[in-house]
Amino acid sequence: MRKDNTFENIIIRLKQYWQKKGCLLFEPYNSEVGAGTFNPATFIRILDEKPWNVCYVEISKRPRDGRYAANPLRFQQFYQLQVIMKPSPSDIQRIYLESLAHLGIKFKEHEIKFVEGDWDAPTLGAWGLGWEVWLDGIEITQFTYFQQAGGIDLSVIPVEITYGLERIALVLQDVASVFDLKWNNDLTWGDVYRQNEIEFSKYNFERADPEFLISLFSKYEAEAKKVFNDGLVLPGYDYTIKCSHIFNLLEARGVISISERAKMIGRVRALANQAAELYLRKNSEKNEEESEEK
Amino acid sequence: MIDFLLEIGFEEFPPALLKRTAEDLSAKVEKLLIDERIFYRSIRVIYTSRRFGALVLGLTRKQKPQIIEIQGPPKKLAFDSEDKPTKMLQGFMKANDLKAAQIFTKKIKKGEYACGKKEIAGANTDDILGKEIPEIIRGLEFPKTMVWTKGGIRFPRPVRWIVALLDRRPLRFTFAGIKADRYSSPNQHFSFTPMRLEKPREYLILLRHGGVIADPNERRRIILKRIKQAAAKIGGKPLYTEEMIEEINCTIEYPEVVTGEFENQYLDLPEEVLMAVLKVQGDLIWVKGSNKFICIFNGKKKAVQNVRKGYTRGMAAKLYDAYFYYKNDLKQGLQNMLAQTKKMMWLEDLGSLYDKATRINRLVEMFKTVPELGIDALKRSAMLCKADLLSQMVREKDFTFLQGIMGGHYAEACGEDKQVAAAIKEHYLPKFVGDTMPKTKEGSVLSVVDKIDNVVGAFLSGNRPSGSYDPFGVRRNGYAVVSVIDACSMNISLFEIIDNLLKLYNKDFDKNIISEFFIERFTRYLQDKKFRYDEINAVLATWKGDVTDARIRCEALKKLRGKPDFTKLVIGQKRVRNILKDIKKIGVVNGELLKEDAEKKLYKKGLETKSKIKELFQRRDYFKILNLLLAMRVDIDKFFDDVMVMCDDKILRNNRLALVHYINSLFSQYADLSQIVIEGENQQG
Repeated sequence: MRKDNTFENIIIRLKQYWQKKGCLLFEPYNSEVGAGTFNPATFIRILDEKPWNVCYVEISKRPRDGRYAANPLRFQQFYQLQVIMKPSPSDIQRIYLESLAHLGIKFKEHEIKFVEGDWDAPTLGAWGLGWEVWLDGIEITQFTYFQQAGGIDLSVIPVEITYGLERIALVLQDVASVFDLKWNNDLTWGDVYRQNEIEFSKYNFERADPEFLISLFSKYEAEAKKVFNDGLVLPGYDYTIKCSHIFNLLEARGVISISERAKMIGRVRALANQAAELYLRKNSEKNEEESEEK
Repeated sequence: MIDFLLEIGFEEFPPALLKRTAEDLSAKVEKLLIDERIFYRSIRVIYTSRRFGALVLGLTRKQKPQIIEIQGPPKKLAFDSEDKPTKMLQGFMKANDLKAAQIFTKKIKKGEYACGKKEIAGANTDDILGKEIPEIIRGLEFPKTMVWTKGGIRFPRPVRWIVALLDRRPLRFTFAGIKADRYSSPNQHFSFTPMRLEKPREYLILLRHGGVIADPNERRRIILKRIKQAAAKIGGKPLYTEEMIEEINCTIEYPEVVTGEFENQYLDLPEEVLMAVLKVQGDLIWVKGSNKFICIFNGKKKAVQNVRKGYTRGMAAKLYDAYFYYKNDLKQGLQNMLAQTKKMMWLEDLGSLYDKATRINRLVEMFKTVPELGIDALKRSAMLCKADLLSQMVREKDFTFLQGIMGGHYAEACGEDKQVAAAIKEHYLPKFVGDTMPKTKEGSVLSVVDKIDNVVGAFLSGNRPSGSYDPFGVRRNGYAVVSVIDACSMNISLFEIIDNLLKLYNKDFDKNIISEFFIERFTRYLQDKKFRYDEINAVLATWKGDVTDARIRCEALKKLRGKPDFTKLVIGQKRVRNILKDIKKIGVVNGELLKEDAEKKLYKKGLETKSKIKELFQRRDYFKILNLLLAMRVDIDKFFDDVMVMCDDKILRNNRLALVHYINSLFSQYADLSQIVIEGENQQG
């Protein structure tokens, strides 16, 4: 195992690896998301038939997973490395496994297991089939062949590979707690994020104001609809993402009932579906114009 | 003799589908060989997480030749007076490519004929398999499939290689854009380099070198041996089920073993929670009573240290969470959770979970006459049974399936009666057809009432099932209701429960829609108990809602239907039904007006029978009742033979109709026998 496997070096190595495989290197989205899938570089770009290969780090916020910095493996914010390859190469599993080897993981000394995990994101009207990839019993990656997004059956199937960077680093650095991860040679993950974990856990579980959040949700939703009506996909989708995060906060706060939950998910999904349809419609119009110009 | 190997390689297959798909594929290959008259010595199913197929040894190179007989002209016309072939026979021989030696004569029904016998050479095994194997692969069926490449081929997971080797040569076909070839793939922990197969016989050994035990039975034996050895080292009893071993077997290619442990404090957790954590952490096997577990993993022995460390850490994190939830839940107590259910909506417009519990609590009072039922414990458990849905444990998705079970534990911890805890614990049972039934009376009643409320609630909130749409599992709930009621022989009318429930809801709803739903569910249940549809129809035509009672009636009916008297009786009933069909007003029989012997006798018999069966109905001795009804048959037949019902005298006619109606009413107390289908007669009678 490599000695210089600091958290930041792991990120750099993976980005370099996927760059060599033909991925465009992108950056995280500029508002809160629960997963890299929400980033338009995934959700919007996978909708059409054009080839698209991209790699970026996403800062994922999962308010429900906060543990006040008390659980060594659970935290409300973590880094994902997101890879999309469309169309999916036929040897993609091997390409992925070799990325692990690139980080210094020797297959003879570990167990790497593809555990059936059908993935779906009900707020995005998206689902796919694939696996959780476990390294010695710890989930380090979600590996998914998308089938549908924004309620639309995809005609060119993309593969999504989402690395849980902290989890991988734990194995590579052989430490038991995320707070002890070396970010670089001087600072640990705990140095950087401990206070963040404690404060956001407290906010998410105890202090977030439900009424304020519910009113924000409705306002964002209304704005999204308005913007879609003006034919603007990406600004409307931006508000869709915001709704999704507000929903996650409300859920962590434990103030939505089972049926209310289903309803709110439905509302976000309706926006995501609208974004997807609008994007495809605008794109096909654009293509027609381009071909007419020729 | 040659051998054949078929191996379809893919990215890790869903374990629950693997075994049955592999067995299905192998059975289809075997059927093909038999149908095509290709001899083989043995066929072996192979599967691992990344491949399935069949290894067939000792095949013939060709189909077995077929000897066929062709019928020619009649003997008279086939041979002349000197026994030489006529022109006609010669023509027949030429048309069918037959030689004189292949001609013989044969006697059949129509007379004696000239026939030809010849052998048809078999086609090449190669050609047949090359054509049929891809069809077999395409014909495999799966509950859930995906697309991964252009062309739209669907399979549970992407297919990445195909080996189809007959003797030393690959069959020529492609599937999902992949050409059948001779390269298999090793265990990825061992190597990525494809392995070239010269002939099928080397397959198992070569793959073993590549870290793949392709034979599932052998892999299973190794798994069990490894578990046994590991458990012996620890000195305890490993706790596992057949299903767990099969699941493990379907997720690996090469079984190695490692043991790990967790902190002793986690042994305070309820066993169900501990088992759930072990399961989600990858089918780990608990050494009962200890803080140790056994892990079967897929890889090389060299990985033992890392694998132990990883699984131990994974367990620690998950147990930490479970313990955290458990302690918080205990601190909070079931009573507090119950208070919170007031804020948790159950179904749209149908109030909160608390309202549901209150409704169940009131409804269970109907059951207080059930013998040996602790009504106070039942009422208490009804009130508390949904509280655990507000516990942190049950709200976590890995533990949601412990609903009820956690409620039971929390109830006990809060000092509730043991009976109360037991009822809460088992009131979700049975979760599927064939699942365990609640064991206690209180648990059974709670299960029934909760599920009826689920069904009625779904109907009221516009979520009734239709086609494949049944998001609330209403059909499953309905089936469970009748099976639990029947399993503990409760004498209670389902319709009455529904009536009372609808009153509690205070909503305007056509209760017949719900009754019809339950009749359909009950019909299905009785069909599963192997009653015939006409027996079920006959009994349910006069059904008042008592499940067990109807089942016993069906049994008596089934037992008697073979008797000759029974058939005549049913025919009589059909006649009666036809006579009464259009009559609107029926009076009471006037004994004075009975003239003929036959009608007097029938009336007398009817009165006697009625008084006899009255008491039998109370004892539910349906077999005896049916026998007594059957005994009326002679008098009924005589009545219809001797007496003209539709006579001109209006008074007489009405009195006779009243008699027919009276006799009929004795039968319909039991069932509508006219619904029984008699062999050779059309159902409408």
